[in-house]
Amino acid sequence: MPTFTETAKATKKKREIKLVGSDMYIITEKGIPKFDDIGPFKCEFISNRGTKVWPGFVSPDLLQVNWYRCRFMATKDVQDADVNTFLDALTKKGWWWSAAQKLWNYDGEPGFSKAY
Amino acid sequence: MGTQHVVTMLPGEGTGPEICEAVRMVIDASGVNIKWEYEDIGLDCLEKYGTLLPDKTVQNIAKNKVALKGPTTTPIGTGHKSANVTLRKVFDLYANVRPAKLIPVLKRPWDKIDILNFRENTEDCYAAIEHMVSDEVAQCLKVITWPGSYRIADFAFKWAKEQGRKKVYCVHKANIMKMTDGLFLDAFREVAKKYPDIESGDIIVDNCCMQLVRNPAQFDCLVLPNLYGDILTDLCAGLVGGLGFAPGANVGDGCAIFEAVHGSAPKYAGMKKVNPSAVLVSGVMMLRWLKEEAAADRITKAMFAVLDERKHVTYDVGGTATTDEYAQAIVDKMHAKV
Repeated sequence: MPTFTETAKATKKKREIKLVGSDMYIITEKGIPKFDDIGPFKCEFISNRGTKVWPGFVSPDLLQVNWYRCRFMATKDVQDADVNTFLDALTKKGWWWSAAQKLWNYDGEPGFSKAY
Repeated sequence: MGTQHVVTMLPGEGTGPEICEAVRMVIDASGVNIKWEYEDIGLDCLEKYGTLLPDKTVQNIAKNKVALKGPTTTPIGTGHKSANVTLRKVFDLYANVRPAKLIPVLKRPWDKIDILNFRENTEDCYAAIEHMVSDEVAQCLKVITWPGSYRIADFAFKWAKEQGRKKVYCVHKANIMKMTDGLFLDAFREVAKKYPDIESGDIIVDNCCMQLVRNPAQFDCLVLPNLYGDILTDLCAGLVGGLGFAPGANVGDGCAIFEAVHGSAPKYAGMKKVNPSAVLVSGVMMLRWLKEEAAADRITKAMFAVLDERKHVTYDVGGTATTDEYAQAIVDKMHAKV
């Protein structure tokens, strides 16, 4: 008789995983960051406290803190090594980042949320 | 007629339009001078605009800075963002004010409940930062910031002071989430020093839930992070009679949106049988925000009188009146008292 844990683990489905980008968490006191394309990575949006601050309308009343989530999407097929190169390039450009979160599609569906 | 206020009306979907029409009738009859500007929001916008919250609606609210909103439905598990959460984010409506006060005629097992909840409305797990970090692990970031925590506490203490309240307590789980809830509590304590005339303290969220259902009269004002606030404000609404009578306000530094917190009950749409009281009492909150205290008092007294008589009340409180008949009875009661 399998345990509940064993039964649960046995239900895991195999999913196709594809790297499609990276969320970068940037710390800056200079307001909303601006990025040129970095290799195959293009900035798609920037959010602050979960609210999209670029591109598009930003309420002048919006509270922004010094921590921005910057979503970079790959413009072509990329591998993990391309993310390493991207992180090096970002650091060399002077951006101070607290964390990176790779973005994967699972069976073709995004495994990451959009910003409000 | 006094000063004219221009208010954005967001009827929403499902039963929202019929509720909002009934509420408008009551508010217009209260003697207040309001020019209503109607805008679309919710599921019905998807086909027309491709979004739950059209730009035209956002621009109108930005212009008027005050809105009254009917119920909307958030699709579960689809790609569409909640119109409600989007509104809060776009206008940075960081304070969700949710009073929970006993309505005299609704029989409840308590003698007194008069709680003012201040829910932080923009941060916490609502920052929409979620990732599948492996093929079997999902993660949601709980984002708590110092300025976000400080301003909701400051807002709550200021509101409490203006209302002559005695106690403001912070609800948290800082014994476990020492960084996030710890920051929220630290900011609260810092703010509390500015209001020495108001008693302040803190309570762990699970204990708070237990205390609320055992002895709700002990609570006065509560300040909560977003997720605990979401849950406890509905709990408080349940204590005083359910979401059908629960008002809500979403307030920022430049804008305020008043709304019922119940759903749009699409299965009753067009039947004109639902109770419009939650939107009406939200409208009363709006009138007080607009400094129209006399009109707000007039509506409240008339509504309580109609509920007390039980002749023209909706099915949920034991009557057979339609939405419009209930609203008309409130209007008649106001006119009878003039």
